[in-house]
Amino acid sequence: MVRVFILVLSLCVAEVQANCDDVSSTPNFNRSYSEGWGITLSNTRYQSSSVLQAENVNRLKLKWAYGLHNTTPRAYPLVTGDTIFIGDSGLGVVALARDTGCQRWLYAHEGYIASALLHARVGARDLLIFNDRIAGVYALDASNGTLVWHTHLDDEPLPWYSGTPLIHGARLYVPIASQEVGLALNPFYGCCTTSGGMAALDLATGAKIWYRPTIEAPAQQTGDHWFFVQKYGPSGAPVWGAPSFDVTRNVLYYGTGQNYSHPTTDTSDALFAVHADSGEIIWQRQFTADDAYTAACNLMALNHPNCPKPTGPDVDFGAPTMLATTPSGRQLLIAGQKSAEVHALDPLNGELVWSRRIGRGGIIGGVHWGLAANEAQGLVFAPISDKSVLDFPSPGKASPGLYALDMESGEVRWHFTRDPRCAEVACEYGLSAAPLATNDIVITGSMDGYLEIYRASDGKRLWSFDAWRKFESINDQPAQGGAFDAHGPMVADDLLLVSSGYGYVGEQRQGNAFLVFEMAAEDE
Amino acid sequence: MNDGLYLASRRRRLAATAVDAICVPTLTLLLVLMTGILEDAQDYVSNLWMVQLLGLAIASYLLLNGYGLWHRGQTLGKRAFGIAIVSQSTNVAGQGPAPFWKLVCVRALFFPLMFTLVVPTILILPLLDLVLIFFPARRCLHDFVAGTRVVRR
Repeated sequence: MVRVFILVLSLCVAEVQANCDDVSSTPNFNRSYSEGWGITLSNTRYQSSSVLQAENVNRLKLKWAYGLHNTTPRAYPLVTGDTIFIGDSGLGVVALARDTGCQRWLYAHEGYIASALLHARVGARDLLIFNDRIAGVYALDASNGTLVWHTHLDDEPLPWYSGTPLIHGARLYVPIASQEVGLALNPFYGCCTTSGGMAALDLATGAKIWYRPTIEAPAQQTGDHWFFVQKYGPSGAPVWGAPSFDVTRNVLYYGTGQNYSHPTTDTSDALFAVHADSGEIIWQRQFTADDAYTAACNLMALNHPNCPKPTGPDVDFGAPTMLATTPSGRQLLIAGQKSAEVHALDPLNGELVWSRRIGRGGIIGGVHWGLAANEAQGLVFAPISDKSVLDFPSPGKASPGLYALDMESGEVRWHFTRDPRCAEVACEYGLSAAPLATNDIVITGSMDGYLEIYRASDGKRLWSFDAWRKFESINDQPAQGGAFDAHGPMVADDLLLVSSGYGYVGEQRQGNAFLVFEMAAEDE
Repeated sequence: MNDGLYLASRRRRLAATAVDAICVPTLTLLLVLMTGILEDAQDYVSNLWMVQLLGLAIASYLLLNGYGLWHRGQTLGKRAFGIAIVSQSTNVAGQGPAPFWKLVCVRALFFPLMFTLVVPTILILPLLDLVLIFFPARRCLHDFVAGTRVVRR
């Protein structure tokens, strides 16, 4: 009996090993399903290469789960014809066979991988680009996972590489934020001297071509506290999100965050259009003036010396901008703000076309991580978080949920208001993650762990998956689901991919599950 | 041990440690404020600030306690509560302080451990050091390692 058991066990193990042993270590790049964070260079987050639609989403089934090595997954996968590339902070960048999840190669990396993974072709070589949030931008040889180059910009002493770069031609455009927003928590720190910006790198080598700070004037001392600690300003206006790109005009668009100290500038909470060749500013437009805030302001009760006074509402453009074409053929630059406003501008000159407020807003949004659009239907999909954080004031009534706005006018076509799933104070149920649109549906993930699909035309919820549970994983790491946040879902053909468990902000449920769903056959 | 020396009570030791645990970090923070080692963005580009912070913490410890340890085997807290550190082998006839180098280079190394009591993942380290005080010898791990005991003055 024991011999039979051992034999069966051996066969099972051999079967598993054979499956993964059969996997080629070299990925195929004949097909790639995203050009960047926004699926397209214009950041519409509309996936055209998908079979998922309203009539078949009820056949989505979990195909496999992968246990990540961190509980704040912030990398956005890249899918090719046969491979899924994921950033597994704590382990590295992993190339997994698309069908089985077997590992093709691993690039071991200790830092925090904090961007979408990007594919670029340079000469005969396929590159895989990603950000380490602190250490900079990395380019790997996508065929085997070896390092090609690594760049850390020294224009600012404390850059944060939070936003996903954008690739066009032979260049890589890298948004730069600043760590000072968090360092200000240290009351001995003399806040603040750095700003954000946009950098252009040579895609082949990582060498810097230009850097455009959002604040040109150097910070000056503006006062002191506790007799010794000097205060500085202006500072801040970081660039948190991926830029959008107009290929025909060769123009980059991006938004900025708030100032970190006084005096404030007209470049914070603003939108920029810059020439991709030179970084020269074409136009800029500010939406919220005098917004100065640091993480120290979350400790309001302590009257923290590094919280600038007067204190602003912290309503960044954290979400990337989007270039979209309306059904009437007009091109608009659309941007969602943490104030819960969505703005549409003429991309040529920055003139405001419409603006719509659809929630209360707050330091975690409002619109937090991004928008999506269905240009054929003329709809912009805006997720609203309206999350309260600590004791920072959030006046007004929260209205978290998904809103579909008419692209031409900004009118609300429909909205889906989410309900809390539990009575816990920390049980936030809004939508912070960026949504994704494909065909006639839109996909969102909520902070309380639901992955949901809505019909784009009327907002009817068609499918829902509760990720607040354990998953059997295909690797040796147990997988636990949690909050959906950050970059949100990805779609490719009949697959739906998403990370679950983002516990970075507030008391969201942490987890470490990377989930891959697949459309089951009709007769299953 | 019936050698004319009386072991310090656990309460006095706890109170003395509490005084030291407040005074040393307070002076360290004051020095941080005055030297500005955590003040500029450039300070955080490398991890040098950690070394500097450690240096200031050591300097604070020595500024507050160096003289007392050298002459009397007493930190500020121990002086306040009338107790002192002596060598384990010290008897009533020669009750001078324990050797200064042992107090600073061996025994004092355990002092920062106390501040890790609030870190659950390494809680076991300070507990290992402190739990031995509840045995009859009233000697913590740092006493055994340094060959010392704490007595009433």
